[in-house]
Order: sequence, then structure tokens, then C-alpha cells
Amino acid sequence: MSALTGWWDDFFWGSVVVGQVFFVSLILMVVFGLIGAAAKLSKSRVAQRIADAYTVVFRGTPELLVLLLIYFGSAVTLTAIAQLFDPSVKFVDIPPFWAGSFSIALIVGSYATETFRGAFMGVNPGHIEAARALGLSSVQTFFYVRIPEMWRLALPPFGNHMLSLIKDTALISIIGLNETLFAAEQAIGATGKPFTMYIVVGCIYLGFSTIITLTVMALEKYANRHLERAR
Amino acid sequence: MSANVTDPIIVLENVDKFFGPFQALKNVSLSVRKGEKIVVCGPSGSGKSTMIRCINRLEEHNSGTIIVNGHELTDKTNDIDAVRSEIGMVFQSFNLFPHMTVLRNLMLAPRLVRKTNKVEAEALARQYLERVRIPEQADKYPIQLSGGQQQRVAIARALCMKPEVMLFDEPTSALDPEMISEVLDVMVDLAREGMTMICVTHEMGFARSVADKVVFMDGGEIVEVAGPTEFFESPRNERTKLFLSQILAH
Amino acid sequence: MSFDVALIVDSIPKMLMGLGLTLQLLILSAVLGLLLATVLLLMRISGKWYLDLPAQAYIYVFRGTPILVQIFIVYYGFPQLGFIRDSFLWPILREPFGCAVVALSLNTGAYVSEILRGGVLGVDRGLHEAGSALGLSAHQRFIYITTPLAVRLAIPAYSNDVVSLMKSTALASTITLLDMMGIARTIVAETYAPYEIFISLAVIYLIMTWFIQKAFGVFERFMSRHERQ
Repeated sequence: MSALTGWWDDFFWGSVVVGQVFFVSLILMVVFGLIGAAAKLSKSRVAQRIADAYTVVFRGTPELLVLLLIYFGSAVTLTAIAQLFDPSVKFVDIPPFWAGSFSIALIVGSYATETFRGAFMGVNPGHIEAARALGLSSVQTFFYVRIPEMWRLALPPFGNHMLSLIKDTALISIIGLNETLFAAEQAIGATGKPFTMYIVVGCIYLGFSTIITLTVMALEKYANRHLERAR
Repeated sequence: MSANVTDPIIVLENVDKFFGPFQALKNVSLSVRKGEKIVVCGPSGSGKSTMIRCINRLEEHNSGTIIVNGHELTDKTNDIDAVRSEIGMVFQSFNLFPHMTVLRNLMLAPRLVRKTNKVEAEALARQYLERVRIPEQADKYPIQLSGGQQQRVAIARALCMKPEVMLFDEPTSALDPEMISEVLDVMVDLAREGMTMICVTHEMGFARSVADKVVFMDGGEIVEVAGPTEFFESPRNERTKLFLSQILAH
Repeated sequence: MSFDVALIVDSIPKMLMGLGLTLQLLILSAVLGLLLATVLLLMRISGKWYLDLPAQAYIYVFRGTPILVQIFIVYYGFPQLGFIRDSFLWPILREPFGCAVVALSLNTGAYVSEILRGGVLGVDRGLHEAGSALGLSAHQRFIYITTPLAVRLAIPAYSNDVVSLMKSTALASTITLLDMMGIARTIVAETYAPYEIFISLAVIYLIMTWFIQKAFGVFERFMSRHERQ
């Protein structure tokens, strides 16, 4: 334990970075997922095909590969553009924070696409018909019947997507983001205690996962309150 | 186990059953002699199913005594599987094993529990399929049969164990109306052959023609026990009268 | 900037030299992970708290932390511990390949045991009761009724987990292994052509994903032959 003295700061700030990446990628993931689901549910064949390609590609290739492709690919492109203006430029990249957040959001967004689509389709059509039969407009039906039922269906898999996101943040250390794994490497370099340091990282992630799990459980309890049997 | 013909084969004495705070059976006592046909009826939630499920210990009663075929059912009953193999049960939702053909559904328990060899088990299975009048369905999967056919397979499956008693838990409630009679016909045949039967059912025609005793339950209690004629013509209890007026009114 | 087709043609055979290693990692970890998952499942459904709780804790820890961290703990972390260096496992854990297989198996085992448990819980309770009512013992019910139906129910989720495992094998490249991903990263470091190399590699992985899904699709159809009307 004494090996950790002096390194708590680094782990703390690393955790803050993990949290920041998580929030940014969470928002992007929801956006990608909603766009993907909307495209899959749309009547446009082209949009459907693009969304299909999106989910097939990003669910079928390794996360690390996507991350490296986006980070180094964008760097090569940006560098080439910059060199048009100033030939002395050696390397321009999108900061690992943004490239990483974007990448993991894109990956998990492909799963969220299916979740959102499934939740939309999973709404009991009888409930929709009942609402329309009562004279609710399609907009009213959407907000008062479909959305509440959808989010109850989407919540459990959505919780898993959040867990995927938080765990995928660890990958971003590979392109140089100074999060917890990065802090651990620094600490290992100085102390020669890799087991200790990586266990600390593991505990930090376990803490994040626990918070997410408990939050989702609380939300599920709220969303399913009408399903509890009367006493 | 050779019981005297007049000895009861099933005895329930002061049986209580709780689901959490809810009392599903209240001081239930009933005895069934060999060869007797009992029809149990009552409104939903009255404890009818719970009672017959306690008889083969699919539910565990909390107090009182249940004796089946000379074995008392307690926490310490470690040969419960042996007791169960002497009691056939037919469920409302058939519960045929979906991954096995009809024939394999019928052969499973004789082979595993009775250790019958394959040839004999198959002969037995075909014999009982004949009795429930669907020998031609032997090699189909359950999902390929109609509800009425599935329930007849379920009856045959129970009969293959040559049980002493047959329990029926609302065997026709999940069936389309036009399929009810094919199942009831099989049950009537069985009754004529002398099988001891306890049937939870709302088929009052069946009760009239077959039952030796009709048991009426309400709120977890046995309210009235009577022969079918007496039960239908001159019920004593007000709750029985109300129930009968509701289900016979239309 | 141009798309260098010659480089792609040149690099694909090189990357495919790592296919064998990728497949070894995948198959070994899948088999060991499935064994571990079965043990964990039996602990979970044993009904005995002293078996259930450790299994739950294990699953919680391994599903709650990144696989990359698990790989680093096994590869970089374990040598710090004297008792591991002295143990019979050391010849395996000394090599990056052994570490990758161990970490991937431990990880996938946790996920797969939950998938199997989902299958077991998905089996209709009425079928257990029917088995009980016929006098089948708990053991016989598990083997003849629960297992075949649970396996059938678990196939789609299990198939997805095998795809996940295949994707995770790419992380072996972070501990010096030259699987397809490792080779690709070496080539990119030399040529600085991420688009050509990484997109080609993505296509290779997509073909593998397709293949895994097809194979499990065939298996699933076989296991659900009783569901055809």
C-alpha cells in the first residue's frame, strides 16, 4: 500500500478524465443510436441500408481497430491538409480525448441503434391502437403511450451500453489519453509495482460500474413501478 | 403397496398453505378412496389448484398432514420422486416437453424412473396413444398438434407411469371450445375404467356424469362436499348457490 | 493523399499470417471460458450460498472491469507476485500468449455463465413441474429437460459473446503478441498508411464475424427443429 503514496492524485485526475470521456461519449452514443434507429425505421431504402452497414461494421470489428483507425486516420488526413498550408508541419491530430470519445460512442451507438429500434417495435401495438381509438393524435400517442413504454423496454440494455462505454474508455489510453491506465503506467515506472497499480485501476472501474448499475436499477424500479402487484 | 379397497388413498387433514402473508389453503381436510372420482370447483383464487398441487408436493403445505398412498409428505420426504411417480398429473397448459416428439415425451419417465427398456417403453407409449385416440401423431413434435391433441398426449404421458391416482388441474381451460369434448371423452373413459381421479374443472356436465363427490372451495376453504345430484339440485351453502347461479345462469 | 492499392495487396497476406494466432486465442479461450462458465453456472444455481456468493462476486468483478485492465494485470501484474512465479502456472503466465488466453478465458467465462443462466431461467417452469410430477429426479430434470432447452435459448446471446471474444483477441496486440491486429499495427507504424491497413483488417474481421454468426445460425436451426410447425 505504501507504494501508492504520492500517486493518489494521478489516479484521481485519471478518474476525472474517465468520467469526462464517459459523459461526452454517452451523449454522442445516444445521438448515434437514435439516428441509427430512425434510419432503420424510416421508409427510405438508402437510409436503411446505411444504418444496416453501420451496425454490421461497428459490431463486427474490434473496438481497438476502430479506435486506431479513427485516431490515426484523422491524424493522417489532418496532417496532409495542414501541410498544404505549411509544409513544415509534422503531425496534426484530433486530441485523443475527442477521437476516443467519438470512437467508443460510434461503437456502442451501433448497439444502441438496435436497442432503440427494438424498443420502438416492442411497444404493444394494441396500446397504440387503443390510444388512437380513443381519439389521441399521433403526436399525443407518441408522447403519452409510445415513449413511456419504450424507455421501460430500452432501459436494461441501455444500462449494458453504459457499462460498455465506461469499460471502453480504458482503450483510449492506448492512443495516449492520460486516464487511469496512463496514471498506472507512470506509477509503475517509478515504483516497479505493476500488480498493485493495475489492481487500483481495476477498483476504480469497478466503482464506476457499480455506480452505473445502481443508477440503472433505481431507474428500472421507477420505470416498472406500475408492474408491481398491488398489495 | 396393497391397500384395502375401502382405505383412503389420499388424506388431507387440516392443511394450511401460505404464499407470503396470503393464506391459500385454510384448514383443508379431504379423503379420497381408491377408485373415487372427485371434482373440485370454485371461483378463481379459491385454492383448488393449490390443493391438488400440494398432493404431489409441487407446493409444500405449511401445516397439517397429507398422506398419499401410505406416505406422509413432509420436509423429510426424500423419496418424493417415488411418491410422484405413482400420481399422474395433467396441467392446464399441457406442459409437454417441446424438444421431444410425442413418443419420446411418453417414453421419458418410464425409461428414467421405471428403468423400462426401450422396446417395452415404446410399446407402452403406443398403447396409451391408442387409448387417447391419436396413435398417428407419435412422431410429431408437440407444437405441431392442436391443443386438444396436446392435452390428450399429456394424459397419455401421465398414464404411461401406471399411476394410482390422476390429478387434473383445469385440463380444458386453455382449450378452444371445439376441442374440449375430445379431452373430456378421454377423461370419461378413464373414469369408467375405475381410475382414482381428482379433477379441478368448471365442466359441470363432466361433474354430473362422472363425479362421486363434488368439492366446492372458496377463499381457501372447502365449503361444501356433496354427491353430484345433491350438489347441483340442492346445494346447502349460500356461497355454493351463488357460484352455481353464476356459472349455470347462461 | 491517395489510397494505395498495391500496399493493401502486399499487406493482406502479411496480416493473414497472424490469423492462426488470432484463431488459437479465440478457440482456446472460448473452450476454457465455456468450461469456467459451466462451473460458475452450477455454483450460481446450486442453491447453496457458499457456492453462489463467490460465483456472483467473480462475475461482478470480471464484468465490471475492462478486459484490457484484466490482460494487463495478468501479463504485467502477476510477475510482481512471488507465489505466482513459483507456481506450476508460471510456464504459462511467463508467455504473453498464455497470459492472453488466461485473461480472455477468465473474462468470457463470467459473461457466458450469465448467458447460460439466462437460458436456464428461461425454461418454462411448467416443464419442470411436469417433470417433477412424472417422478423425475432433480438431476434427471436438469439433464433431459432444462439443459437441451436452455442451450437452445442461450445460442443467440452466446453467439454474440463469441463475436465479442474474437474482437477482444485484438487486445493481445497490446502485450506484444503478433496476431492480425499486432501485425497491422506494425505495418502502420512502418508505412503510416492507417486507412489502407486498418480498413483491410476490418474487412477480415467482418468476414470472421459473419462466419461465426452463420455457424451458430446453423446450430440454432438444428436445436430448434422441434419448433417448426
